[in-house]
Amino acid sequence: MARVRAVLAALITAVRRDLKSVGSFSGNNLFVVGTVFLFLGDPRAFIALTAVIGLVLFIPLSADPLRVLPPDRMAIWPLSTVERGWLRILSPWLNPVAWLIAALAVWKHVTMGLWALAAGVFAIGFLLPSLPASRKGMWRRVPDFPGPLNQLIRKNLRETLSTLDFWCSAAVSIFSLGFRAAGPIPAEALLPMTIITMLAISTYAQTLFGLDGAGGMTRYRLLPVAGWQILAAKDVPFLLLSVLMTLPLAPAAGLAAALAALTIGHHASVTHHSNQMRWRFSSGLSFGTSIFQVVAMTATAAAVHAIPLVIVLCAGVYAWSTWWSGRVMEQQPL
Amino acid sequence: MISCHRLVKRFGTVTAVNSLSLEVEKGTICAFLGPNGAGKSTTVKMLCGLLAPTSGEASVCGLDVATHPLAVKRHIGVLPENLGLFDDLTIAEHLLLTARIYGLDKQQSQARIEQLLRVLDLSDGRHTFAGHGSHGMRKKTAFAMAVLPNPEVLFLDEPFEAIDPATSKIMRDLLVAAAARGITVFLTSHILPVVERIAHQFVMIRGGSIVWNSSAAELPGSLEDLYLELAEPPVSEELEWLASGQS
Repeated sequence: MARVRAVLAALITAVRRDLKSVGSFSGNNLFVVGTVFLFLGDPRAFIALTAVIGLVLFIPLSADPLRVLPPDRMAIWPLSTVERGWLRILSPWLNPVAWLIAALAVWKHVTMGLWALAAGVFAIGFLLPSLPASRKGMWRRVPDFPGPLNQLIRKNLRETLSTLDFWCSAAVSIFSLGFRAAGPIPAEALLPMTIITMLAISTYAQTLFGLDGAGGMTRYRLLPVAGWQILAAKDVPFLLLSVLMTLPLAPAAGLAAALAALTIGHHASVTHHSNQMRWRFSSGLSFGTSIFQVVAMTATAAAVHAIPLVIVLCAGVYAWSTWWSGRVMEQQPL
Repeated sequence: MISCHRLVKRFGTVTAVNSLSLEVEKGTICAFLGPNGAGKSTTVKMLCGLLAPTSGEASVCGLDVATHPLAVKRHIGVLPENLGLFDDLTIAEHLLLTARIYGLDKQQSQARIEQLLRVLDLSDGRHTFAGHGSHGMRKKTAFAMAVLPNPEVLFLDEPFEAIDPATSKIMRDLLVAAAARGITVFLTSHILPVVERIAHQFVMIRGGSIVWNSSAAELPGSLEDLYLELAEPPVSEELEWLASGQS
């Protein structure tokens, strides 16, 4: 059992580190806004926004702890079949979500149906990373785009789809769609819901290169294209997804909010290459940048919702930001 | 084709490259050798326009690297130290990206990509995401990306490390043929027997300064002996606990 204990000790360290990465949501705009609501004396808004974050985090948090050990390493270690069996049985209990599911099973206030739903979602999250499709790359099939930057845009779309920001935004959008299908959404609710949908994805605009790694940044700099083109290739999937997700609500306001998020986010993206993790929330540069981004998004979305032509001004400012940050990017040392 | 004059790069108080002057003629394979941390990759980065020198001048294909970085990039192919690949693009997509960005037409790029995939034994793994490929596969992809636009100068940072012997030979033959047609190759490597076989010019660097620069004909004896004497004298220490019977 000494060997099993040694492997479990290594797993505990790895799981603890993994759990730390979950804390990235604290730098996410949605959480920042929730915290502001809390300080403004509206705890219900804080709870609602945190609940959305918690729901989206549930699946990646449920992942099998044993997956962090490379299969080749496991195969090399001199572990008997019985020891491997013990590892299989004990390792899921290193996951806090497994304890939560167990606690829900004995808590009398939880109905059998709700427990089964939570356990089912946990099982999906537990098994998902082991599926062949996950290991070979989930987003193999993404559409082609016109122009020489096609492959870069496709890559950036795949990256965006691997962030929890997108899925959080998609969850709000799907909820809105369901709400809309049940009956007309009151006109005064369209703008706030659009802004919440956009808030969920907006932090990613501050960390556009977070999933590219050092190799990616080298390649960008080696390509004979201008910095603004690389930034534009980053922005295309963000803008497309933003419009798509705000379609059930106010798409023009959604596009304006997306342009504002990118305008503010460009500089942070090119000057601070903070590495982000897949299947985690993006973490913004600072509280101040997040607040600035949120205020800009809300103001532009509201302005465009009231006077649609304002979007031309938003596009102009966005274009200037792309060009200027592109220049900054070209001069950044590697 | 490659020229640098008193090139210096400082990171804070550390001088990574110290007054480096160098000329590499067209069609030459120049082996740039030295131990880890000697300043090889920093020099390559400066010559490719990825890093601005602290002082000194560098030009590639007659273009000043500091003032015309974009124009230089159109004339060179680079295999960078960290390979410069995107985890979210497949091997084939990396090559398609390169072809489109360097303005190759559809027919031309199709033919070149197919040939490179075949020659470098990447055909079976063409739909593998770079993030999921082996190191050898990733290195071959980065090499193919460097060669694909038919550049005038190739900068290759450790091209022969971590690849199988057959591919190493194919790459060697490709480089020799390319140099014979006038392409200049500037490469770094730790695999001395391989570079000794193909290079026309040898430059050794230690602590950021050049300690040897000569043509192949001017080498006094074996490259390895010269390298161990000038660039990296070996440290010899016995591990007594090895094969001592204790685990």
